[in-house]
Amino acid sequence: MNVALRKLLVSSCIAPAIAVGASAAAGADNEVTISHYFTGELGLKILQENVAKFEADTGYTLKDSPIGHEDFKTDILVRAAGGGLPDVFSYWAGARTQFVADSGGLSPIGDMWAREGLDDVVAKAVADSATMYNGERYLVPFNYHYAGMFYNKQVLADAGVMELPTDWDGFLALCETLKSNGVAPIALGSKFRWPAQFWFDYLLLRTAGPEYRAALMDGSAAYDDAEVKEAMEIWRGLVENGYFLPNSNADTWTDASDKVARGDAAMTLMGTWITGYWNGLGLEPGVDYDYFPFPTMREGVANSVVGPIDGLVISSNVQNREGAEAFLAYMMSNADVQSHWTSNYGALSANVNVDSSVYNDVMQRVVGTVAEADTFAFNYDLATPPPVAEVGLSMFQRFMDSPADADAILGDAQVAAAEAFAN
Amino acid sequence: MKSIAEPAEAPGSERPFNPWPAVVFVCLTVLAALFLAPTFGVLMSSIKSKREIAFGQLWTMPTDLFLGNYADVLSNPAVHKYLLNTFLVTAPATAASISLGVLGGYVFAKLPFRGSNLLFLALVSGMFFPPQVILIPLYRLFNSMGLIDTLWPMIIVHTAMGIPICTLLMRNFFATVPNPLRECAIIEGANEWQILVLVALPLSLPALAVLATLQFTWIWNDFLWPLIFTQSDDKRTIMLGLVFMRGQYSVAWGIQGAMSLVASLPTLIVFLFFQRYFIKGMTMGAVKG
Amino acid sequence: MPVAIFSVFVVWPLISSFYYSFTDWNGFDPNYEFVGFENFSKIYKDRLFASAAINTVVWMAAAIVLPTGLGLFLALLIDSRVPGGAVFKSVFYLPICLSAVVVGQVWVWIYQPDWGLLNTTLSYFLSEKFNYAWLAKPESALFSVIAAWSWQQTGLSMVIYLAGLTAIPSDLTEVCELEGSSWWQKVRLVLLPLLAPATVVVIALSVINSLKGFDILFIMTEGGPFNSSDTLAMHMYNESFRKYYMGYGSAIAVVLFLVALTIVWLYFRQLKKVDEIYS
Repeated sequence: MNVALRKLLVSSCIAPAIAVGASAAAGADNEVTISHYFTGELGLKILQENVAKFEADTGYTLKDSPIGHEDFKTDILVRAAGGGLPDVFSYWAGARTQFVADSGGLSPIGDMWAREGLDDVVAKAVADSATMYNGERYLVPFNYHYAGMFYNKQVLADAGVMELPTDWDGFLALCETLKSNGVAPIALGSKFRWPAQFWFDYLLLRTAGPEYRAALMDGSAAYDDAEVKEAMEIWRGLVENGYFLPNSNADTWTDASDKVARGDAAMTLMGTWITGYWNGLGLEPGVDYDYFPFPTMREGVANSVVGPIDGLVISSNVQNREGAEAFLAYMMSNADVQSHWTSNYGALSANVNVDSSVYNDVMQRVVGTVAEADTFAFNYDLATPPPVAEVGLSMFQRFMDSPADADAILGDAQVAAAEAFAN
Repeated sequence: MKSIAEPAEAPGSERPFNPWPAVVFVCLTVLAALFLAPTFGVLMSSIKSKREIAFGQLWTMPTDLFLGNYADVLSNPAVHKYLLNTFLVTAPATAASISLGVLGGYVFAKLPFRGSNLLFLALVSGMFFPPQVILIPLYRLFNSMGLIDTLWPMIIVHTAMGIPICTLLMRNFFATVPNPLRECAIIEGANEWQILVLVALPLSLPALAVLATLQFTWIWNDFLWPLIFTQSDDKRTIMLGLVFMRGQYSVAWGIQGAMSLVASLPTLIVFLFFQRYFIKGMTMGAVKG
Repeated sequence: MPVAIFSVFVVWPLISSFYYSFTDWNGFDPNYEFVGFENFSKIYKDRLFASAAINTVVWMAAAIVLPTGLGLFLALLIDSRVPGGAVFKSVFYLPICLSAVVVGQVWVWIYQPDWGLLNTTLSYFLSEKFNYAWLAKPESALFSVIAAWSWQQTGLSMVIYLAGLTAIPSDLTEVCELEGSSWWQKVRLVLLPLLAPATVVVIALSVINSLKGFDILFIMTEGGPFNSSDTLAMHMYNESFRKYYMGYGSAIAVVLFLVALTIVWLYFRQLKKVDEIYS
């Protein structure tokens, strides 16, 4: 670490009240520090290729600090608490970014956004839902994902399924056909809880609609409302009809994906990162697997799609603001970087200039599905404040263990959620 | 191994009835097989392709040996750097914590002072709390010292965290060094420092070997401190490298398995190297409570 | 000097953790308020804390019994001059050398319901498909993790007991054999009392490691399903780093520390008793 930066770090810690604008001295310094959770074989390598491009084009050097997904949560909190946040870090758009923004951990990027003309670059639906917090702009959407029903083509063909379901009756009929052919219709890997949230999200969004769901997410509706009960009742019907493979709480999302790939189950409700995973195992998109959107359930309910957005943000104790802004702008607006990153990572770009032909056949159609949707909703654990999300995620897991207790589980969840909101 | 068992049974047949050695041997072999199963699983995961593991073929015998994971791990310059960093943290931290433990142990055992028992109790209770408790304060401390993203915080923290156990074991060991020996040395004009270095330490070599093995293994395998205190890849330790094989949306099982076996070699070598002293060390003092 | 270093890098951070336990700090926000004993009264009402505390006690009890008992058993077998003793020693010690992350993952594969080693073996012997989901059921998750953890700990206990056994003068055991006492009598009446100091060390190390036992639990269940295998360390992690209740997390840490102090105190009383045996 060079001396100037170290001195700055020291001074910023002696006075931990976060000093914005202390970055003047760092102007001479070309180094930008970044911390992110894009690890594993896929993420790290592709990101570094793009970082190299950024360094070559702009002359900044990036000090990269990748940290595994789960450990990232600990690390970033410890660094925030210790006044040592990196200039730039990756974060999940939605309630988590809201939380950091509320706590004064982020620098607004509105000026940069306007200067770089990002309004013309970022898809409007994404920009509206993911980048503004408390009336200020804080985040650029580095990539996003979409959750849909991914299925094994061979299994459906073997069961004689010619047509994919678009409405709920069609979906139930599909499950019945598969079941009578001796294949479990649905795999779910809820061991680490979050994969179950997509079921809750879609069932609620398709029956009660996005407005009610938003109310539930911000605490103005309750988990023991009739709307939530109804959604859980439908879910319970699916489980009790034997449409889900047993022991979903024993499997991770990759276990469930493996079961679909093997043909032990026909489909799984999962985010588009599953395409990156399956392609890595040697499966052929559009040949071995495909997807269909979660079927509609009720007339007159807005068509929502669900998924997470990975964002890049600038911390409030940024040392090299100029460099950090340059990095965000470059990563967002450079269409080559966006194409290369998202198409290899199994994600989608919010950059309107990215030609969707860079994606494989399945992902190209996903782009269409997202474009047709009325609203883009964050998945549950990014839509509701973190302490509440903990309650809900455990609730889904408990439900998968004993679906018959759905009402009691919702009652308990409401008590715990109300407490978490009150805090 | 069966052939070794035969002679063990032979003397049994001379006497009227002594099946013990054979029973014990069989019993141990079965237990050893059970104990090896998980390690065997790691080995299997390291020689299988990702697809095989994903398709539930982990526990079946491989049809052909796939060594690509080992090639990846061993040829990766980052892994060399990780191993070097881990060694650069583990060796000094092991040495420092033991040295300080020796000092502390000697004082508590031979030079008790007012309140020394209370102090000892406080020190030992330091072994028991989970380290997550002090993450944030320590991060602040090292950040204000400008030491974040160097190897120093890890060396320092492992040294500090190792002091209680080292002091405890060394105190118990020194307590067994006969007092007359020390008095003898004092009469001959030695000061406390000379007694420690010339009399007590040579006697305690075995205990030092015990501590060296334990501390080396624990520090080598830790990943919490490196996670918090390092930021750039060239400062990271092998356990972090291992953890980072787990991506947001995928885990490289095979490489993780191969890397973990490579990473466990140094600790195994240290164990085998010190094993002889280890047993003796426990014998001579550490265990005496 | 050791005490000084220890104070700066361990005691001082601990004290600041005490300080945060009286605040509503969320970890990010530099502004926080003092809330007095509110966090502690919250602990009193926290259902998850209660179950995590029970699980921690269960884990500690298991830590005292399992690795200790199994380690002693193995040490006694190896000590009976069995051929290949050195090989066995290394085999049983090997687990400690492997990282908790990988150990946890392999045990997940062992417990895997459909093709895991355990259920495959059970199905073979029962000659019917056995697919119990060990880690997914609240009844068995904690115990399954403890079993995996014990596997890793046993080698440590064994080595310490082996050392203890070699310290026992061989004439004592020969006297037993001359008097024609059985193996069990020898173990119970002679070896066990003489191994008491070793037992104290083994139990202390097991309890320490059980209180810290976090990595393997995190990899295997993350405290799930639905918090049924949470320990206090895991609960503290959840509250501090997932719910961002840093103040409350610190309060849990304080309670954990007080529990640890009590254990150390009991441990010292035990040590004194052992000393009395010797003198």
